[in-house]
Amino acid sequence: MATTRRQFMKSSSAMLGAAGLGTMPTQLLYGDSGSTPPPCTLVALYLRGGADPLNIIVPYREKRYYDVRPTIAIPPERRGDTAGVIRLSNDKRFGFHPALRELAVMYESGLVAPIVNVGSTHPTRSHFDAQDFMERAAPGIKTINEGWLNRYLGVTRTDGDSELRAISLQAVLPRSLRGQYPVLAVPEEGANHAMGVFGTLYGCDSEKEAISQMQEPPGSGGGSPSDPEAATRQKIVEAGAHSIRKLRRLNSIIHQGSSSVVYPKSRLASQLRGVARLIQANERLEIAAIDYNGWDHHAYQGGSMGTMAEMLRNLSGSIKAFFDDLGPRRDRVVVLAMTEFGRTVKENGTNGSDHGHGGFLLAIGGPVVGGKVYGKWTGLDRAVLNEGRDMPVYTDFRSAFAETLSGLFGFRADQNEFFPEFKSEAKSLGFIRQMGSA
Amino acid sequence: MAMKIHLICAYVLVFASSDLLHAQGAGTRLSQSDTESARLSEDQIVPHVLNRAAFGAQPGQAEAVKQIGWREWIRQQLQPAKIDDTQVESYVVQRWPTLGMTLDQLLQQDYMKMEQVRKHLPPSVIYRAVHSDRQLQEVIVTFWRNHFSVDQNKDSVGFYTGDYEKMLRRYAFGQFDRLLLATAQHPAMLTFLDNDVSQKPLTDSQQRLIERYESRDRKPRSVRALARHRGLNENYARELMELHTLGVDNYYTQQDVIGLARALTGWTVGRGDGTPFGQAGDKFGFYFHQDVHDRNAKVVVGKRLSAGKGVEEGIRIVRQLAAHPGTARFISYKLCRYLVCDEPSPKLVRRVARVFRRTKGDLPKVYEAILLSDDFLQPQHYRVKFKTPFEFVVSALRATGAEITDYEAILHSLRLMGYDIYGCMDPTGYYDQAEAWLDPGVLVYRWDFAVRLGEGMIRGVQIPDTFMDPLNNLPPERLQAVLLDWLLPGGVSTQTHSLLGRELAKAYSERQAVGLVVGSPVFQQQ
Repeated sequence: MATTRRQFMKSSSAMLGAAGLGTMPTQLLYGDSGSTPPPCTLVALYLRGGADPLNIIVPYREKRYYDVRPTIAIPPERRGDTAGVIRLSNDKRFGFHPALRELAVMYESGLVAPIVNVGSTHPTRSHFDAQDFMERAAPGIKTINEGWLNRYLGVTRTDGDSELRAISLQAVLPRSLRGQYPVLAVPEEGANHAMGVFGTLYGCDSEKEAISQMQEPPGSGGGSPSDPEAATRQKIVEAGAHSIRKLRRLNSIIHQGSSSVVYPKSRLASQLRGVARLIQANERLEIAAIDYNGWDHHAYQGGSMGTMAEMLRNLSGSIKAFFDDLGPRRDRVVVLAMTEFGRTVKENGTNGSDHGHGGFLLAIGGPVVGGKVYGKWTGLDRAVLNEGRDMPVYTDFRSAFAETLSGLFGFRADQNEFFPEFKSEAKSLGFIRQMGSA
Repeated sequence: MAMKIHLICAYVLVFASSDLLHAQGAGTRLSQSDTESARLSEDQIVPHVLNRAAFGAQPGQAEAVKQIGWREWIRQQLQPAKIDDTQVESYVVQRWPTLGMTLDQLLQQDYMKMEQVRKHLPPSVIYRAVHSDRQLQEVIVTFWRNHFSVDQNKDSVGFYTGDYEKMLRRYAFGQFDRLLLATAQHPAMLTFLDNDVSQKPLTDSQQRLIERYESRDRKPRSVRALARHRGLNENYARELMELHTLGVDNYYTQQDVIGLARALTGWTVGRGDGTPFGQAGDKFGFYFHQDVHDRNAKVVVGKRLSAGKGVEEGIRIVRQLAAHPGTARFISYKLCRYLVCDEPSPKLVRRVARVFRRTKGDLPKVYEAILLSDDFLQPQHYRVKFKTPFEFVVSALRATGAEITDYEAILHSLRLMGYDIYGCMDPTGYYDQAEAWLDPGVLVYRWDFAVRLGEGMIRGVQIPDTFMDPLNNLPPERLQAVLLDWLLPGGVSTQTHSLLGRELAKAYSERQAVGLVVGSPVFQQQ
């Protein structure tokens, strides 16, 4: 049979292969016993555009950093000045951007693990390809069509999956969550109104008689409609009913309850607040994905102050509020902030930086073995840079993804071609604790 | 997972269900033994034809098609050049001036102007789909736009897509091999699938030379030049066979992909005289770059290509792929799926593929073989396709006779429904199975669109008074009858009729009633 959907075939056979591996830890987490802990939650935060690692985890001891970034470098710490880098107590190589004050405090409490020189095995400097490869965790492989988080959900799917096992509190699903496994994206305001209008036509809100009308009369063959037109319609009605139910539940959870924690006023903060509500409502949320756009700072990126600094301030404040809000639940929640690539070591002619190669990751949360900078660092000499201009990649982002899935969910992503053509490193980074049997 | 459509297609029709009795009176259904030759009722044929060979009916259009006869209407549509469309054409170039430019004219503009193509093209696609009288052409071009999908957001692809769309229109009603070659040599495709940077692979001795100097700081200039060499990029060669002609893993191997990629090295974008972007020079477009072409002999899909034939070699392979029986089957299958149902019968596909081969890929003959087949009119294909977001939005705008002054809000809604015109990141294009679109989260945006369309709350979109005025102050039953007649010619089942009736009676305005019908389950079907 000529099936034309090659990705479906390829990805589903890959999933079948991967499904053979032990899903025991999932059972452990969801066992019947009432005393099992809630699942861990991963919040995949995508900083779109290629966030500049050197102005976030600043190598302030490197002379060359100041030589090649005359206008955008973050100055070293100076007494009585808040514009300089925030030094780390146990790592003399790096400091945090001064706008990351809250994250620096969390770092000192062991809740933040930066990983430097992380990236793709593929050399592309196109946002398009780099994001694509990263979110499918398949650099250079265009036949994998589903996001890595969606593939994880699909492979470990059980009948008992929570309806809110994975969500995205924004209108369009990030690519990492797109695929066969149904993940709900939350509509914009206004769509809620439309949902109310169509409740009955799509089989919700109806009086009993309306519901019975939605079903086929007896005698038409085991409840499945024999008329193709009616059968198609019934599927549409079911899909509609499904989304209404789910969204109503989601809305009621997100808008119920309040917390004393004050979040910054931003899109990121409001999404994180929604995620915190869901975690606290015991909805068995495992995966949430958030996009934070606008990190492509080709021009006027600023240094201690300016465009990028404001974005970092929002990032830091929102994450801090999120973990404060979570309270003890923070022990089972990780925010993994990622970006598609780093930027040129040298600043460009418009006080910004251009697309580079090696990037960074920030893992934040209770299960993180933080207070330590991970990843190989070889400085900024031309000879060690990628093509003489960009940060090199020493850690494949898939290694970090694999360790995250393994630590939080006991899922062995390094096996069975879950990441196609991926060879895991002999030695793991160890930035996430094994939480499976907590 | 929901049930697959083909299971349903395979059902023998049993007519116990009350759902089959049509409220509009028409429709004598046939008994079980007649299903092979069963045909839609006369009242359903025209709406069916307009749902598949057009983006739904405009107000009054069903009646007009009935007048000339649906067969005759299809025959006319199969020759779009003979249908006058000058108004639509002149509106397009006036409203979106970059679309009237040749690539050379465009590339002499400043960067901001070039960037405008990205803004101009998507609304023009909607405009044409809604307003053009060459409806079959719009339906067919939408098919090819998706079959040969390119994403305007990648690199410079967005400068070329306006011209790419023109090319699709030029060839969509011609021979398939010419269409295929035109896409293969178009800057948009060459850039989107990286063939523009594909170069002949390094020889073993060159490779060794690079390795020898790998760890040394000082490298001779010639070695540095070699190290910069990009080498072969298989991306386009693979998709050319997998997506555009033979279908996945049909008739070709990885060795064929490499062979084809080597044959296509040097197929790039630029000007013959090498003048860069933004300057006057030779005609800009497809350019064969001799120096990076691999002159060695190669074998592709069983054909041996002798060495040193240059650009001719690639052209010959593209033509061979177009003429391959596997291609006839694959393209016929996809077209049947698009125009008939998600799982078309093998018999129909075989018949259409035969026409494809016999006519050497004469595309209007292929479309005709599908649209005038008995299969096309079988009742089990009536409204079994879930509309794609594009089909839903365009058919809603057409059905209500909406007047559009601004397209941004429509495009935004479409993106929320998962459909970004010229913005599909995958070279596969969007799902061509209707059912793949049945994603729960996305329906919400269809409802939102329907409600706001009815209320006149979509910026730049208004349902005209000529549509709304006759609805004013009608008693509920009358309102329902008129609305269904206008928006869903062909009628609805008694069940849908009574459910909709109840909801329409609750509607607080005629405008909300319009939205209810457009957002209802049956309007999502075609």
